[in-house]
Amino acid sequence: MATRKAAPKSLSLAPILDLNEANALHSKLMGLRGNNLVIDASAVERVGALCVQVLMAGAKSWEEDKHAFAFSKVSDAFTKTTQLIGVNIDHLMAKEI
Amino acid sequence: MDMNEIKEIFFQECEEQLAELESGLLRLNDGDRDPETVNAVFRAVHSIKGGAGAFGLDDLVSFAHVFETTLDCVRSNKLEPTQEVLKVMLKSADVLADLTNVARDGGSVDQARSAQLIRELEALAKGEAPPAAATAEAPAPRAAAAPKAAPAPKPAAVAAVAAPNDQGFVPVAFSFDDFGGEEEAVIEHPAYEVVFKPKSELYTKGNEAALLLRDLSRLGEMSIHCNMDSLPPLDQMDPEAAYFSWKVSIKTDKGEDAVRSVFEFAEWDCELDVLAVETGEGAEAIGGDLPMQPVPFDLSALDEEPHAPLGVVEEEEQIAAAQEAVAAAQTASNVVQMAGSASRAAAADKGAAAAAAAAQNNAQQASSAAAPTIRVDLDRVDRLINLVGELVINQAMLSQSVIENDSNGVSSINMGLEELQQLTREIQDSVMAIRAQPVKPVFQRMARTVREIADITGKSVRLVTEGENTEVDKTVIDKLAEPLTHMIRNAVDHGLEMPEKRLAAGKSAEGTVKLTAKHRSGRIVIELSDDGAGINREKVRQKAIDNDLIAADANLSDEEIDNLIFHAGFSTADKVSDLSGRGVGMDVVKRSIQALGGRINISSKPGQGSVFTMSLPLTLAVLDGMVVTVAGQTLVVPLTAIVETLQPDAAAIHSFGATQRLISIRNSFCPLVDVGRILNFRATQANPVEGVALLVESEGGGQRALMVDAIQGQRQVVIKSLEANYTHVPGIAAATILGDGRVALILDVDAVVSASRGQPLHLETSLAAAG
Repeated sequence: MATRKAAPKSLSLAPILDLNEANALHSKLMGLRGNNLVIDASAVERVGALCVQVLMAGAKSWEEDKHAFAFSKVSDAFTKTTQLIGVNIDHLMAKEI
Repeated sequence: MDMNEIKEIFFQECEEQLAELESGLLRLNDGDRDPETVNAVFRAVHSIKGGAGAFGLDDLVSFAHVFETTLDCVRSNKLEPTQEVLKVMLKSADVLADLTNVARDGGSVDQARSAQLIRELEALAKGEAPPAAATAEAPAPRAAAAPKAAPAPKPAAVAAVAAPNDQGFVPVAFSFDDFGGEEEAVIEHPAYEVVFKPKSELYTKGNEAALLLRDLSRLGEMSIHCNMDSLPPLDQMDPEAAYFSWKVSIKTDKGEDAVRSVFEFAEWDCELDVLAVETGEGAEAIGGDLPMQPVPFDLSALDEEPHAPLGVVEEEEQIAAAQEAVAAAQTASNVVQMAGSASRAAAADKGAAAAAAAAQNNAQQASSAAAPTIRVDLDRVDRLINLVGELVINQAMLSQSVIENDSNGVSSINMGLEELQQLTREIQDSVMAIRAQPVKPVFQRMARTVREIADITGKSVRLVTEGENTEVDKTVIDKLAEPLTHMIRNAVDHGLEMPEKRLAAGKSAEGTVKLTAKHRSGRIVIELSDDGAGINREKVRQKAIDNDLIAADANLSDEEIDNLIFHAGFSTADKVSDLSGRGVGMDVVKRSIQALGGRINISSKPGQGSVFTMSLPLTLAVLDGMVVTVAGQTLVVPLTAIVETLQPDAAAIHSFGATQRLISIRNSFCPLVDVGRILNFRATQANPVEGVALLVESEGGGQRALMVDAIQGQRQVVIKSLEANYTHVPGIAAATILGDGRVALILDVDAVVSASRGQPLHLETSLAAAG
């Protein structure tokens, strides 16, 4: 993943990422386009497939934009749900931005 | 939203599903073999079962389960939907409706009937003839349908564990004992390939793919691959649309049914393929060239359920589960629940577009592309109607004030007033349209009445309905069921002959009862006809003489004899039965219809049958009326009753007897009725030449000329109940408030006409108008 030397923006995810949150998450990500992004998913208690879709579409767009898109922290629930639904986020886990 | 509100939504859904079930079964009964009709019927029962499980309504779930199993045999072409099979299913639909009503309102159902139908349904599912059913021919199953295994329960949707019943079906209880993962020994369990492609509706109805996959993983060892190929870039995606799909390989000893039942409540909102594969081939067979990863889950972090003893579920959890189940129980009926979510509202357009696109590809969707609807509490609509009524009155008052105080007639003000009047009328029409509903639900209820009475009487009856989409105000619909039920009972019990008698008369053994609705002259006309024996006038006449209703030498017309059956306590039944013979019925019908501002007529032909015609107002809130003056009083005559108005000419007035007068109209004579005299507004008869005659159609179909002093104009008035606000006044149907603030009485035309024939006014009932 290509990165640029610009201060990354950060986004803290809501505890409940369900159907009602999918639009809000989408809007937040759209507002952060063009920036390197660090996502904090440590507060996530429940996440549904729709919000995972939004996050993965975000990762795809950030990659096209050649900006960094990474998860700094993830909660146990977030990890387990992504595993459960067969979505691998290992390559998106922040190592050093 | 609390539990009671969710439950109420569930029962509203049930009503819709039951209506869908009945209409689908009736279509099948009429020879419709469209697979979508069978699917719609199956879906209805399936949805009721799903929702009922969430609320622990065990009786409802158990019965629905057996019913659904038999329907599934029809759906899979294992059972031919013959007339006999459908007869059992229609009765089962009735029992399902009873169970739903009992679940909502309390009470009890006929357990023996329910048990008998369960036996009959089970026999049909096994390809056997229904036990103890008096069937003319055995059903013709194409193949013996093996009883289905009970579906695996849906998690998180029940508060208590139900004991297994006679059918061995345990409603929706879930054991969380296996959360720690199963003891995976070296035993090789059967493997299944599952391809799961959710549609957007799956999410919008409150389901969650992750939870379904979690439930699937609990069945055994699972490998999963998420297909993200259709996921667009962020700026092109609809956040509420479904893009992910999954290919899963699972090894489980619980069987294919258990795998399928995970998706039970999402069945209509996803594409699902479940294939059994040879052990050891599963992952490879599914994955092919796709990377598959075993998922040794620790599911504890995903559990929403508290680790409490089974049966103890927090109310919040229960509500969430119930909401999920109710959402799952909704069909694709385009009913938009007011979720109150701003974010969802903002995405409504996009969501609807995505849903519409998905629906196009969904062969199993409900076929109707009805306009989106919302549910609104009737009280809110009633308040709105009342406010609009006040607006109409105030607008009339304003117009009157301007006319009285503006002798110069400023055109701009007058134009503005006219526009306001037009706008007010449009608002009123629109608001009234909100409460207008088709008569279909009432007609459908009558189908059940016919079935039940046919069973009791041993007659063969077919109900034919027409014009069920004719719309009328909900307040009228709500009050239609009772009189219609009485009339249907009467038609089947009294009107139709026994099959052998019909055959002897050269008719078909099966009698026909026809129920039609149509709009006519701003009213709804409902006709109930039968092809039975017609009214036995001799018997009616004799009974009336025996009951001292008429003199033995009375000379009555056929119409007058027919109308005797509307007298209280009048019955020609030879013996008292559950159905008739108690002398309660047709008088109640007439009173109910009159209370709605309606009229009822009979037309009967011996040997050919009878026709009961009800004419009802479309609404009980407003009416178009002719404002007239009678002896200094202002009255409103309903416009629907008026045929024409005329200025009597002295040469056209003819007297006979002491007080009777006739008016000659186009070479025919019509009785002249002095309204002022009938209502005791004046002691003497007015001079007809100085007044105006209103030619009206009376209840019996005859015409009368009502004499009034002058006509003030024609306008729509808001009906206010006289009984509710004052007391009953003979000859007066209701009241209204005029533009100058005065109360005007609305004339009960039929009562006045009857009084002119010598029938005292106080015997007539009046319009219990919605005020």
